[in-house]
Amino acid sequence: MLQEESDLSLIIAQIVQKLKGSNLYSQLERQAWASLQRPEIKLESLKEDIKEFFKISGWEKKLQNAVYSELSVFPLPSHPAAPPEHLKEPLVYMRKAQGSWEKRILKSLNSMCTELSIPLARKRPAGEQKELLNKWNEMGTDEPDLSLFRPVYAPKDFLEVLINLRNPNYENGDSLSFRTHLGLIQVPLKVKDIPELKECFVELGLNIGQLGIDDSTQVPPELFENEHVRIGQKVLAEQDSAAAQQYIRQGSPTALRAELWALILNISSQPEDVLYYEQLKTNVIQHDLLVDSLIYKDVKLTASNDDYYFVFEDYLYQVLLCFSRDTSVLSHFAFNSASPPKSYIRGKLGLEEYAVFYPPNGVIPFHGFSMYVAPLCFLYHEPSKLYQIFREMYVRFFFRLHSISSHPSGIVSLCLLFETLLQTYLPQLFYHLREIGAQPLRISFKWMVRAFSGYLATDQLLLLWDRILGYNSLEILAVLAAAVFAFRAVNLMEVTSLAAAEAVLADLSTLKVMPLLQIFLFATVT
Amino acid sequence: MSRVLVPCHVKGTVALQVGDVRTSQGRPGVLVIDVTFPSVAPFELQEITFKNYYTAFLSIRVRQHTSAHTPAKWVTCLRDYCLMPDPHSEEGAQEYVSLFKHQSPSVTFPKWLSHPVPCEQPALLREGLPDPSRVSSEVQQMWALTEMIRASHTSTRIGRFDVDGCYDLNLLSYT
Repeated sequence: MLQEESDLSLIIAQIVQKLKGSNLYSQLERQAWASLQRPEIKLESLKEDIKEFFKISGWEKKLQNAVYSELSVFPLPSHPAAPPEHLKEPLVYMRKAQGSWEKRILKSLNSMCTELSIPLARKRPAGEQKELLNKWNEMGTDEPDLSLFRPVYAPKDFLEVLINLRNPNYENGDSLSFRTHLGLIQVPLKVKDIPELKECFVELGLNIGQLGIDDSTQVPPELFENEHVRIGQKVLAEQDSAAAQQYIRQGSPTALRAELWALILNISSQPEDVLYYEQLKTNVIQHDLLVDSLIYKDVKLTASNDDYYFVFEDYLYQVLLCFSRDTSVLSHFAFNSASPPKSYIRGKLGLEEYAVFYPPNGVIPFHGFSMYVAPLCFLYHEPSKLYQIFREMYVRFFFRLHSISSHPSGIVSLCLLFETLLQTYLPQLFYHLREIGAQPLRISFKWMVRAFSGYLATDQLLLLWDRILGYNSLEILAVLAAAVFAFRAVNLMEVTSLAAAEAVLADLSTLKVMPLLQIFLFATVT
Repeated sequence: MSRVLVPCHVKGTVALQVGDVRTSQGRPGVLVIDVTFPSVAPFELQEITFKNYYTAFLSIRVRQHTSAHTPAKWVTCLRDYCLMPDPHSEEGAQEYVSLFKHQSPSVTFPKWLSHPVPCEQPALLREGLPDPSRVSSEVQQMWALTEMIRASHTSTRIGRFDVDGCYDLNLLSYT
């Protein structure tokens, strides 16, 4: 009993410490002071009366949402003897692999720097600052010469690193044995099988209404849709994060989605948040970073070429350039296996007082990074709100898609989950694809790394991301990837090369994700 | 309550297997680690902390002296305590674990918290109710810890990434 209490008080202490630095804390303080004027607050029962006031005025709910948010994001407190690296990633060999991968990225960035003779960071002269400020809302019209820049890495480079991951304590041997995994991923992480996934994703079951299935034109709205919308409005009126997260497992009505996601992510645009965003914008104006060119190049190569997202090009710069300068993102590295790159002020190499992180947020964008932001532009049009939502999505979910870790939502686990599902439930297809040299992961990897952004139609993508938020897990990406293969299995059985397999799976824009997921999980004969 | 690290000597692992060590091909699944306490006066063991490395189940046996006249005997404190729920996967493989001496058995604990002793009643534990002063001092210790965390500076970020307005950088460091 004692240990349970002490564990709980440790969690409480950690959350209190985190919230004490937040806007909410100062707001609650102000509200408490202001409430002293109210007639119902009596000195004899001060504490109880203020608590009651908080409950009635909705402030208690805001606090609950903040606590729920912290619990969703922050891992449980670890053993007192565990060093900070252990919280980032418990397995030593994965930490080492991540470290080597990072070193490669840094070398690549450094060589780009020296080859092109462009500094990592440069203070803009006044004239240039003014020009950029004027052009802030139409940075897309700029056509800088980006031909010399190349993305630091692409998903397929990252895949090669994951394929070569080995646990030194796991006897694999070079020759194939019953212990070798038949897929590309060779590390023995624990992944769920279909019975476990069914338990986990129970709200996606056949007898439960879903948006993405039961709101199609053939289904009368009285059967499910109307009631679901009504419940959604109620959830929003209550402003309860936990309820919203539960609700959205069945999908979000389009009209309510922006507010629901903000509620789940506990984002409420306060004046302080708008000010913070403006401060970031000022940082962009003042300093030019090498990563800015990488961002420009990425947007030009990916989002600008996409039929759905090219209209949002300017928004993407406004979000991503500010994101690079946001030091508050650094705090997520406590539970990210990755570490922010370090540098020193010129001439002060090795002096710790002159050590800085580069870029300021510690995240180096890769090819396709802007696609994490693009779908959000459909929901949020106010730049600071769009920015906050993206940042929260990144530090909760997206960072796991491009760092090496053993976390169940990490990309390594997702890859293994995908391969295991395919191998177990579509063994003939898996075997055939392997035989023709078309390892399935080589095709599905890019989908998962981008959380399917740019591959699915936008409305389908948003329905998928509803479930990511609802279940607070990225495992659904692996399940969908397997479901797509299952759907196109007949065609895939007939191909005889990797290129042909890629062609069968090149266009996912017509797919409806919810029926695919439901059939794969609940209606496939095993 | 003062808790002190007890100096101990951890010997190398010895494999338990049947037959000749040199000629057998299989890898033994059971290893034994001897831990001795060289020159210490008799003490009461409160907590054992270690970092796991791919051990699935743990048993602990203790040889204790009860009195001067009876010979020391081996007592099993822990039998087949599960460290890795699925030994073929990475769960729990490299976790930090603490095992406590505890009296009240309970339902579920997070991995690194105390484990209630299963069937065998270990002779280490005392009879009767826990010592109230010890309980209250343990609670006090936890509260001191929480107060310490609360008092330490908040996590607000000021937002500056430069040093005195300067962000003119060299190259990225590899360390």
